Amino acid sequence: MRLLGAELRKITYQRAMWGLMIAGALFSVLGTASTPVILASSEDGLGFGTLAEQNVVDSVYANAVSGYIFAMLLGVLVVAGEFRHGTAVATFVAVPKRGRVLLAKMVAAGWAGLTLQVVATGAGIGSGYIALGFYPDAAQASQEIFINTALSGIVSGVALGILGAAIGALLRSQVVALIGVLLWLFAIEPILLLLVPEAGKYSLTGLMTAIVSLDVESDLVNFTTDSFLSPLLSILFLLGYAFVFAILALITSMRRDID
Amino acid sequence: MAAIVFKGLTKTYGTAVAVDNFSAEVQPGRVTGFLGPNGAGKSTALRCLVALATPTKGRTRILGRGYRKLKNPQTRVGVVLDSRGFHPGLTAYQNLRVLTSMGGIDKSRIDEVLAEVELADARNKRVKGFSLGMKQRLSLASALLGSPEVLVLDEPANGLDPAGIAWLRGFIKSQAEKGTTVFVSSHQLAELETIVDDVIIINKGKVVAAGSVAEVTGGEPLEEAFLRLTGSGLS
Repeated sequence: MRLLGAELRKITYQRAMWGLMIAGALFSVLGTASTPVILASSEDGLGFGTLAEQNVVDSVYANAVSGYIFAMLLGVLVVAGEFRHGTAVATFVAVPKRGRVLLAKMVAAGWAGLTLQVVATGAGIGSGYIALGFYPDAAQASQEIFINTALSGIVSGVALGILGAAIGALLRSQVVALIGVLLWLFAIEPILLLLVPEAGKYSLTGLMTAIVSLDVESDLVNFTTDSFLSPLLSILFLLGYAFVFAILALITSMRRDID
Repeated sequence: MAAIVFKGLTKTYGTAVAVDNFSAEVQPGRVTGFLGPNGAGKSTALRCLVALATPTKGRTRILGRGYRKLKNPQTRVGVVLDSRGFHPGLTAYQNLRVLTSMGGIDKSRIDEVLAEVELADARNKRVKGFSLGMKQRLSLASALLGSPEVLVLDEPANGLDPAGIAWLRGFIKSQAEKGTTVFVSSHQLAELETIVDDVIIINKGKVVAAGSVAEVTGGEPLEEAFLRLTGSGLS
């Protein structure tokens, strides 16, 4: 508990972490609030349908989880930031049992990711509600979408915070880890989802979308949620990724010298 | 019982041998200088001592145990390895507060150690605005947080101006007077000559001399003895 408290203290002291929290919330707000505008800009909502359809309105609210990117970046900074600033030496001299330190860091990263996503998802849903208010013909959202979106936000916040911390521990270089995560989330995952949907459903984005239980498809952008995994299986996969990477990070960190 | 023991310590990086079958002891309550030219293996040996690096062969002991086996090492051993160990965006207080919370040390110690290293006025300043000398002092403050019995200092005078070096000498003397074991590495002899009781001289990863200053120097100045023993000029 003492180590966890120290790690949480480190997070709250750093301005960059607060910046990521705010950025996550803003990203979620912009992503959700702009979706009705984008969908309404074409007659058939880019092939997804119109706002008069409930599943399309649900997809607007589903965008509220998009702050997950920042939860993962935050996780990266929790560990790789220590190596960047040279504070890893002080940390591991103070507590030489590396497994305990890394475990505390991952729990702290998961907790911080959860906090970020709760705030960002809440802000996103609120902004979606306000944005949809400008479209009188918009359908009523289903009740499930709010529960599922909140669930996806919570699971993604915890899992991606831990995953980010594990990647930070494995790579140690903050720049390489951040670029790697951004490339993965903004380039590789979208390509997988659109061009290789059978693999894309196992991507982070695919799993989070599956937790939301959206039922949408568009021939125009070649996207469908038909083949996505069940919400429960998606939660298990997402947490499984975090667990596997966390174990890898713990094992490798025992063997490597601290510079 | 020796406060610090190196026994057959070897550390290699690929084919490069940084420390080669190094054995030495540091006696409790004394100030021991760990001397050697740049690249002699001093920092590597110290990193092995505090478990940041894993020895290729041999072992190290501090207060009778491996560093990892010490219960709450912050309260037994104070370590200064470099002045980069602080987050630049955090204040001096915040950086030390993180360390006290890791070691379960009362936060009242923070103001005490900041006063001890004469940084009380910089308590709420961000470390990114600190001079190298201030960072060195903050490193020393962090080492003192747990009121340790042993201080391990790696090149604490690096980057210090003459006034800073004079202050450091006074600091080490004051710690020695309290009975603290001080193990201080350096490649600059003038800063240490007047304050060390014992010396361990290392060159190319191997011990070339160890013992009290009088035993090692045989009455000649430390610098001359060092040059003779290492067969090289000072850097």
